[in-house]
Amino acid sequence: MRARIIGAVVLVGAALAVVASTASGGTQAANSITVWLQTDAQATNWEPIVKAANAAFQKDHPGVAVNVQYQTWGNHLQKLDASLAGGSAPDVIEMGNTEMTKYMAAGAFQDLTSDKASIPNSSTWLDGLAASGRYGGKLYGVPYYAGSRVITYRTDLFKKAGLKVPTSLAQFAANAKKLAAQNKQKGFSPVYIAGEDWYVAMSFVYDFGGSIATQVSGKWKGTLASPRSIAGLTAFKNFWTTASRARKTADENTPPGYDVYKQGLAASMTGQAWYSCCVGDQFKTVTAQFVMPSHVKGQPMPGFLGGSDLAVPVGGNKALGVDWIKAYTSTASMTSLRAIGNIPNTTSLLGNTVNERAAKKSWFVPTAKNWVNVENGNILRNMLAQILQGRLTVKQAAQSASDNITSVLNG
Amino acid sequence: MTPDPAPHGAAAVVEAAPLPTVRRRPFTLQAVGRGAVPYLLVAPVVVAIVAILGYPLFKLVTLSFQEYGLPQLIQRHGEWVGLANYRSVLSDPVFWDTLVRTLVFTAANVLLTMVLGTLIALLLVRLSTPIRILLMTGLVLVWSMPAVVAVQVWFWITNYQNGVLNYVLTEMHVGDFFQHDWYSSPFSQLAMVTALIVWGAIPFVTVSVYAGLAQVPGELVEAAQIDGASPLRVFRDVTFPILKPILLILTSLSIIWDFGVFTQPYLLIGASHVDASNYLMGVYVYIEGYAHSEFGRGAAISILMLLIVAVMSVFYVRRMVRMEETG
Repeated sequence: MRARIIGAVVLVGAALAVVASTASGGTQAANSITVWLQTDAQATNWEPIVKAANAAFQKDHPGVAVNVQYQTWGNHLQKLDASLAGGSAPDVIEMGNTEMTKYMAAGAFQDLTSDKASIPNSSTWLDGLAASGRYGGKLYGVPYYAGSRVITYRTDLFKKAGLKVPTSLAQFAANAKKLAAQNKQKGFSPVYIAGEDWYVAMSFVYDFGGSIATQVSGKWKGTLASPRSIAGLTAFKNFWTTASRARKTADENTPPGYDVYKQGLAASMTGQAWYSCCVGDQFKTVTAQFVMPSHVKGQPMPGFLGGSDLAVPVGGNKALGVDWIKAYTSTASMTSLRAIGNIPNTTSLLGNTVNERAAKKSWFVPTAKNWVNVENGNILRNMLAQILQGRLTVKQAAQSASDNITSVLNG
Repeated sequence: MTPDPAPHGAAAVVEAAPLPTVRRRPFTLQAVGRGAVPYLLVAPVVVAIVAILGYPLFKLVTLSFQEYGLPQLIQRHGEWVGLANYRSVLSDPVFWDTLVRTLVFTAANVLLTMVLGTLIALLLVRLSTPIRILLMTGLVLVWSMPAVVAVQVWFWITNYQNGVLNYVLTEMHVGDFFQHDWYSSPFSQLAMVTALIVWGAIPFVTVSVYAGLAQVPGELVEAAQIDGASPLRVFRDVTFPILKPILLILTSLSIIWDFGVFTQPYLLIGASHVDASNYLMGVYVYIEGYAHSEFGRGAAISILMLLIVAVMSVFYVRRMVRMEETG
């Protein structure tokens, strides 16, 4: 009994200590702001743009220090969760566009609707990117930059086979057959596509007029089993079987396509536009890019538009945070970001690079608060593995994934 | 109990004397101080355990009765929902599938670990010293390798494109293993995880059993052999009974470890491949709790896991205690 009382006293004491320690956090000096950007912006050609934005910000706010902290994609959300729980969230955070909805729905960000008019280029923001920062008719995320997915290919191999840049999916498939016939190395892919690369597979779905899920009177409904989605998935299966010797259960990061390409085991590959960075010295001069063609001749296939938004978490200093965002997304800043290969957040600066041409026709994931759970539950990847391995028919796999998605999105 | 100094004959006299009712210590401050000493001595440990284990456990239990998702995390205030989390978990077919899969997985892993570990220990006894040292060094190296590093090495060995395993098997003409996918189905994924876990767990079992074998008296084994007992018989009737307590402890520890294993399956199968078809309990609770930001539901699953492990442990602890009493 006595031991139990002692235990209880200690427990209460410990509880008080913890409460006291959490309550003391969260105070923020008004003479500095904290900004979380991804490590991408740490690159030598990128960081000067951040520094220039800081200088522009400080011109309006003399004496306010800008504390830029670089985060990694892998764990920045866990860190954000912890800082939100501890009341020490940053004043500005970079969020991936697919990560936004869950946090907007949970009330993690401050409403920036009334500031929109004063943010540079807000009337010409890229549609696809701007959509990811809106929730329930309010603005929470300011578009930052985007990147699209394209085909990176070996001009020497294409030339040797007498091939031109394909203008339709059927032509690309025919190209793949010729390339396979000319390059007999074991494991050689005419078009390297990881089996579970759902960004590519869903592009086929959207190209055939299908979709992942739609919202009907407040309820989400999986639509992968619709006839058009099935047509897209079937086309993906056929194209993949013809063109790729990648592992059927591989995702697009292990190994990244450029690792295979670098070894000379691919005539082309799908991936982000920046994949051209890493094709290996021996192929640097014989590498070019084009936009993935649609099954409709002369059209591009809609691609996934990846990108980032800037948001002000609750507890952050909104006035200063928004002013920093204005400085960082200014026309001057966007021009510099474009110069290093990114897609700027405004159509007014769009040019005609392959990256930008691909961005003109794009699709985006359903803006449901539980969408992230579809991603980290690997529902789409599992479906693709089942289809490519032939464990299930396209229809069976799509139906089961679609039902799963319906229940996760409404859960 | 102080020994009675009175000679045997004096017993009657003592009995005749008026009995001091109960021998109670006089209630003085000194006595209280003396009585408190053991508690004071044990206090640091109790405080440390309560602070490190007790408080989080208490928080976990309260969390499991709350709706605690991302919105609640931001407002720093959960909503009390009673048993709703438990109801939702227990009515989720994924939970039951995962539980059954994890129990089968645990049984397979523990069995393989114990059998192989014991066999290698028995082998160690019969080896010449240099070979024994070599094998022992190998085992200790395996033991000292962190799980994360081991996963990377296994991942490389079994790599689809450039894996050394596919290369060697093909070169040895076992078959065409070029681009063989060792992770093509949930079963093969979990089989690879099993191989990795058993490989990593064998050294501990082997070293412990090897130490236990030192306790088996040589004369007993010799006597049994002279009586004509086969090696198998000697193991069953002489060696095994002596090793039994060690084997029981090792088995119950292995069950606890393998049931809640996370690092190996999550990293070897990979974040982009763990799904409802290959979840083990440790991975399941991580995905539900952290990846989906359903902290209340995650807490409920953790508590259920704790109860399951406790039930399994009680079974072994009871057997162990009984064995201590009898022998």
